[in-house]
Amino acid sequence: MLTTKEEKIFRNIAYILLICGVAITLVPFIYMISASFKSQIYTFEYPPRLIPRDPTLVNYIKALGKDLFGINLLNSFFVATVTTVSTVFISSLMAYAFSRMRFPGKEVFFYILLLGMMIPPVMLIIPQFIIVKNLHLLDNLWGLIVVYISVTLSMQTFLLRSFFETIPRELEEAVLVDGGTRWDIFRKIILPLSKPGLAVVAIFTFLYAWDEFPWAHVAIREGSRRTLPVAIALFQSQYLTQWGLLFAATTVASIPAVIVFVIFQRYFIQGVITSGLK
Amino acid sequence: MKRLIIFLIAIMLITGMTLVGIAEEKVTVTYWHTMGDTEEAALNKVIEMFEEQYANIKIKPTRMAYDDFKPALLIGIAGGVVPDTARLDIIWVPELAEIGALVALDEKMEGFDEIIANTYPGPTSTNFWKGHYYGLPQNTCTQILVWNKQMFEEAGLSGPPETIDEFVEDAAMFSNPDEEIYGYAMGGTYFWAPASIFYAMGGEVTDSGITTATGYINGEKSVAAYQALVDMYRDESLSPLLLGGGGIGVFEGLATGKYAMIIEGPWAQPILNSDYPDFEVNFALVPRGPDVTTSSVVGGENVVIFEGSQNKDEAMLWAKFLLSEESQLTMGEAGTMPTLSTVQGNERLPEYYDVFMEQLKTAKARVPHPKWAEMDNAINNAYQYMLRDEKTVQQALDDAAEEINRLIIEG
Amino acid sequence: MEVKNKILDKSFLKKILSSKGAYLLLLPGMGFFFTFILFPLIYSFRMSFYKWNIVDIGASNFVGFSNYVRVINDPIFIRATLNTIVYTLMTVPGQILFALVVAILLNQKIKGRTFFRVAYYIPVITSWVVVTFLFEYFFGSQAGLVNFILRDMLHLVDKKIMWLTDPILVMIPLILLGIWKGIGWSAIILLAALQSIPLDLYEAATIDGAGIWHKITKITLPLIRPTLVFLVVVLVIGGFNVYISGLLMTKGGKPLDLSHFILTLMYKKTFTYLDFGYGSATSYLLAAFIFVVSVIEIKLLRRKVEY
Repeated sequence: MLTTKEEKIFRNIAYILLICGVAITLVPFIYMISASFKSQIYTFEYPPRLIPRDPTLVNYIKALGKDLFGINLLNSFFVATVTTVSTVFISSLMAYAFSRMRFPGKEVFFYILLLGMMIPPVMLIIPQFIIVKNLHLLDNLWGLIVVYISVTLSMQTFLLRSFFETIPRELEEAVLVDGGTRWDIFRKIILPLSKPGLAVVAIFTFLYAWDEFPWAHVAIREGSRRTLPVAIALFQSQYLTQWGLLFAATTVASIPAVIVFVIFQRYFIQGVITSGLK
Repeated sequence: MKRLIIFLIAIMLITGMTLVGIAEEKVTVTYWHTMGDTEEAALNKVIEMFEEQYANIKIKPTRMAYDDFKPALLIGIAGGVVPDTARLDIIWVPELAEIGALVALDEKMEGFDEIIANTYPGPTSTNFWKGHYYGLPQNTCTQILVWNKQMFEEAGLSGPPETIDEFVEDAAMFSNPDEEIYGYAMGGTYFWAPASIFYAMGGEVTDSGITTATGYINGEKSVAAYQALVDMYRDESLSPLLLGGGGIGVFEGLATGKYAMIIEGPWAQPILNSDYPDFEVNFALVPRGPDVTTSSVVGGENVVIFEGSQNKDEAMLWAKFLLSEESQLTMGEAGTMPTLSTVQGNERLPEYYDVFMEQLKTAKARVPHPKWAEMDNAINNAYQYMLRDEKTVQQALDDAAEEINRLIIEG
Repeated sequence: MEVKNKILDKSFLKKILSSKGAYLLLLPGMGFFFTFILFPLIYSFRMSFYKWNIVDIGASNFVGFSNYVRVINDPIFIRATLNTIVYTLMTVPGQILFALVVAILLNQKIKGRTFFRVAYYIPVITSWVVVTFLFEYFFGSQAGLVNFILRDMLHLVDKKIMWLTDPILVMIPLILLGIWKGIGWSAIILLAALQSIPLDLYEAATIDGAGIWHKITKITLPLIRPTLVFLVVVLVIGGFNVYISGLLMTKGGKPLDLSHFILTLMYKKTFTYLDFGYGSATSYLLAAFIFVVSVIEIKLLRRKVEY
């Protein structure tokens, strides 16, 4: 963008607004981190204190010291990574078909696909359980992966379709004129120009698979094959929630999701696309 | 290539045979539970003892999250994948029995009568539904009074109240709402919370045959019990915590001098000890009502065997073993209260159990009925209506009675 | 009859054959979708017409539409639906407006851009269980931060407000939580969408002397329209599916079953009361309603997208 005086002012206002926004956005998160360094007695004192008195690492030691914490973390990482790669690949193929190709039944297929977003996932758990059992994937990380891919597909396809649609069609015509195929268009135009969209799909799919609880709790019973959210839920006993411990575990668990975000948000860079009007 | 194929076939045969061999040798019995760390450690000791005694059986325990345990079980049942055995909250047994998921143990288990001859009748009764017993009482608990001694001393009181009248009087003395100080606090309006006071004052939900609630939940004594609680709330001697506003929790309040008395289960001891090491935990019996035949409420867990189990015989052995004196004592040391009357007073059990055991003699079980969760909801709502002054106690309980009668008829 | 003729029509066959490329692209995704979503969907749809027996499915009784009739006549369901609609109407515009502002701001060349992006994304990754609990704690009547600020610091109120025990007031923390947690999600999507706007369009506008506001309304918004459509549809679906925060903050519809959302009610009926027929009927009513709303939204909002 050309820097005009107006834009300088705009940028300063932007700063102020962003900083105010961040303050509100981060309060609960900061409180969580602060409480993760408090012992149980001080977790919820009144009036509330942001800086813990007698900060302690005991919650982190307890959480990380759980026998299977490391294994559970690796399981989550495996499941989330495989799910993300698969979903990005499969949904980009589908989104391309829906956004650029004409074929009978296109509308019908698309709306059926949307149905997948509308029914509450909990309602599908029983039949999903029966299918996964018949595929002998219970107590198996692949049993989680196939369901996660299916659940995320609808929305990610829909999302990618909306990104593909913003790419000017004039660019494709150039490829066709040069004797390229549809596959060339997909590979050389659509994918590179949709990097921000693909990054979003990767970020959200990873997060979904990283956080999912109900299906993981039902489909995996073997402690060493459990994923992190289930492991963290099992820290708690029926009569007392150890919030400090929960907060510490949650803080640790959120680090990989932040890293994935930092890696992929680099693709949010403006200026790749020209309108083709010049 | 050929050699490779022969080699692979040979390997498959060998591994296949060893697998068959292992399968013949050992039977695995699965056991689902919702225990915490301390209990789980004790459980592992019990499993070790069991496997030593029965070399051909392996116990595979699985820990589940309490809030999601029932859904996980139901989904498993629907999908035909159930554990062989599980430790269930006593209130779930009738509804799982009703849908046909559990084995009737009085029919299928050898020596069932001898085992329950030695268990406390209150906990045992929670396994009974439509003429059969569907589980064994694995551990029990009840609620008793936990009081803050320092607050009592500062108020010039010699000890905890012994009768309901004294309880009401003492609670009023402490209350200082401006400082968030209350004589008594309970954690919610679900039935379990006021159940001890309710039963101590002679309240009843239904008749013993569970045919009607009319004249029971809205009977004179039940109304008097709820009236007493509502009056305490109006006098501000009962903390508004019970409305669920996200206030100071019962344990925290008790230990930090905000609440003089709470009524809680045996887990109060370990929780208070670990979170408030300086706080002196003092237990007492729930204050006596005018009629002393019942008091407090029975909680705990039962061990059940699922109809879908392929290893029922081995599962029975495991369930029985959990009711043996040795396992009851081992688990008892970790904080779960035994159901065997024969181990009462055993020196291996913590001293604070005594008062709970005493209380259990007259403690009453909630209505063992498949629709209990909905009945609980009806009474819970009634309690909320009274506290909010939207209905009188009598009115609210009349409505609850009607709702419970409907649930009984629906079956 | 007409359909048959159509299939036999040569040009239709030709069309299908020529579009086999498209079907090939759909194949892997649809394979997953049919197996793990569509089949389960039909399975549990069947459930909604039965008094379902989970132990012995053969023993389930067909009851026609009676589950649906029960649901529609249940005052608790009506109340839950109203709550859910209010929640959706408040959170969807809230999220989109704030997210749009944040996305446009985050798209500037400013220092610490990565930090700001992460900061706005943080609420999205923090688990619902934890943030719901923290909001509950902040809005707690006795020891909550909000009451502390309102009463002890600003002296705006003289009595502590019982945010969580009033079935109407409790919607305030729930809605604020929904917006707070959702801004980052929408902002990330919008931010990504902003990248696809050709910069030369802005340059041309600057040369024509257009101001910021003009650029936003005449260039930015029209060009990210497909993404806005997507967001509206998805956030409305998300709003109707609000669940965990409601379950935890209202303890499942407390007080008096007045603060249920559709899904908390569905979950309680299904897994606490074992009423699978009621639960699945509720789910399908919800899905049907959302489906109609989504189709209308797409048809209304999309129209102008085609270049």
